[in-house]
Amino acid sequence: MFCKRRWFVSCFLLFFLWCTTTPVVAESVKIGEINPLTGRLAKQGLEIHQGVAVAVAEVNDRGGLNGRQVELISRDDQSQPDVAISRAEELCGWRKVCGLTGGYVDSLVGPISEVAKKYEVVYVASASLQKELSQRENPYFFRVAKLQGFIQPICDLLSEKLRPQRLAILYAATPGSSEFAHDLENCLHSRGTPLHLIEKFRPGTPDFTPLIAKLASMQIDVIVSGGFSADHLLFVRQLKENRVSPMAYLGPFGIAYESFIREMGENGEYLYSTCAWNPGITQPGTEKLSEDFVERFRRMFQRQPNTTNMHGYTSTRVLLAAMRNVVRRNKPLTGPNIRQALAELDLLLPMERVAFDKHGDPLHYQHPEPLLPLSIPCPNGVNESSAHVDHCSRIRHHLGLILYPCGTGICPDIWGYPHL
Amino acid sequence: MALGFALIFGVTHTFNLAHGELLVLAGYVAYWLWKAYGVSLFFTFPAAILATLALCLVLQRLFSRLREPMEMNSIVLSFGLAILLQNGMLFFFSGDYRLIHVPLLNQRFRLLGISLSYGQFTLLTLSLLVLGLTYVLMRHTYLGKALRATIQDRESAALAGINVSGMGILAFAIGAVLIGLAGPLFGCIHYLYPTAGLQATLIAITITIFAGVGRIGSLILGGWILGFAESCAVVFLGASWRELVSALMLLTLMALRPYGILGTEEK
Repeated sequence: MFCKRRWFVSCFLLFFLWCTTTPVVAESVKIGEINPLTGRLAKQGLEIHQGVAVAVAEVNDRGGLNGRQVELISRDDQSQPDVAISRAEELCGWRKVCGLTGGYVDSLVGPISEVAKKYEVVYVASASLQKELSQRENPYFFRVAKLQGFIQPICDLLSEKLRPQRLAILYAATPGSSEFAHDLENCLHSRGTPLHLIEKFRPGTPDFTPLIAKLASMQIDVIVSGGFSADHLLFVRQLKENRVSPMAYLGPFGIAYESFIREMGENGEYLYSTCAWNPGITQPGTEKLSEDFVERFRRMFQRQPNTTNMHGYTSTRVLLAAMRNVVRRNKPLTGPNIRQALAELDLLLPMERVAFDKHGDPLHYQHPEPLLPLSIPCPNGVNESSAHVDHCSRIRHHLGLILYPCGTGICPDIWGYPHL
Repeated sequence: MALGFALIFGVTHTFNLAHGELLVLAGYVAYWLWKAYGVSLFFTFPAAILATLALCLVLQRLFSRLREPMEMNSIVLSFGLAILLQNGMLFFFSGDYRLIHVPLLNQRFRLLGISLSYGQFTLLTLSLLVLGLTYVLMRHTYLGKALRATIQDRESAALAGINVSGMGILAFAIGAVLIGLAGPLFGCIHYLYPTAGLQATLIAITITIFAGVGRIGSLILGGWILGFAESCAVVFLGASWRELVSALMLLTLMALRPYGILGTEEK
């Protein structure tokens, strides 16, 4: 009996001691992230997630938001819109996150943005392009990329520099790619640049040979393709196999990746790509910030970051910056307060200077000039004509972009062209 | 690839939606051997066949436990398996696009005035060879006759003393060998990525329906007709018509000749 009482008193004293000596830890701030971590978009979703993780780690290492650590709750939407909705419901309704970030492609970002609106939780999307999404009168939806950031430089390049004799636009049957093709068509039309073919194809088409035969018969000299990585890989390889050498091949989506260039091998000779950011391409004045990001990313993931990683990083940094501004004003971290802070934000980051218009679209998202998602498969022996070679040389001279390839191998640092 | 799908479906009534994923997995096995150990493409075939054989026999055990309706239950099970395989491949091989580079296969030559790559020629030759061997097996051996009997009527075949469940194992084994042969070639011609199998499964299903379920002989003809029609659609109508034309052909065929392109109506 005595032993029991002594044990009880000891426990009570220990508990009392623990309660009085443990410092009061500030409650963490929860933000949610929904990305396609599995399924057909897993590769890009994982890359966005890595960028988000770097941004959160960076802010926490600097002391968090006024001493409050940021807790990241990651969810996988399995590349499916219905799953994305249920994950958004969970994060907004049950986990009560202060804000959402991440998201890849409009078909997943769209449903998440609707749930965010319902719960009045701000959502800063990492990779979303479709214009319609930002026209839905959703005050809680913001994004760090927009389609016009791709179209304008490509339109400039085609109409002012390349001036193709016979131009074709191919696009994938997806909302973003279709919008890209038609906006580019309108832009070219307004500049008086003739377009000879505009064709839609299904992403993941297993064989482009018939389409290539058609392009060859039409003597198309510049191809703009709104396809994605797998489509570019197959298309460019089959161009070479079929000995069709257009003057230029431009692809805005899915080329600017080291793994892509590596996989293209020698087929990727003279392959250039569009990207909003890469370790060698950063906004003026953000060189140190960019280097820090690269270093931290390498430390966390043991590889070089790419533009998709940076999209994840940028959207999260933007969300956290707005939240910090709210905390500094001693206001509660509610949806309306963070939304207001986002609307007033003007932040220089490596990928872009971030400020939003009234629709939540970024005002300054633009791929650097000269933007070159460009492959010039100049003939290497077969069908080589001096006129063709001259034409290719003229383009390169004109654009001053003899940067890649480094011989036939892969450059160890293919993005190291600081003069861009 | 379609041959393996048609054979498994014909004998076991298993609608294997993970067929394409098995093909991609065979391609990854070949890719891994080629990349990590420098094994030449030719010698990757046995390993790919062994891997798919082992996996297909496990799948056969799973499918054999299903109750009627077999087709519906197998769709549900194989859909889950496809997701499982996709995520497994994503974990082990990442989402990067992989290609088995065999420069010779990309070189072109002319045959009867037609420009062909060695890769296309190999695919054509191998598919004809495999089809010929399967034809001989199905038409001129007791095993083949037993398989055909099981495809035509499982109950009658069982009454005639044929081991129907054994035929199911055999169909899966032959299907696995065919996938193991197709996988490395798929990795040379097409790019490997975890979800690449979806497209392959769709093609296998389309060709199987087009040729007529259980009509193995007309598979290659069905595949060629569909491919030719799709190519003509791209050249003359536009790339966006490609899938529409093949879907229209399939629907028309199902309305007019539901027993397949070369099949005959059962009395």
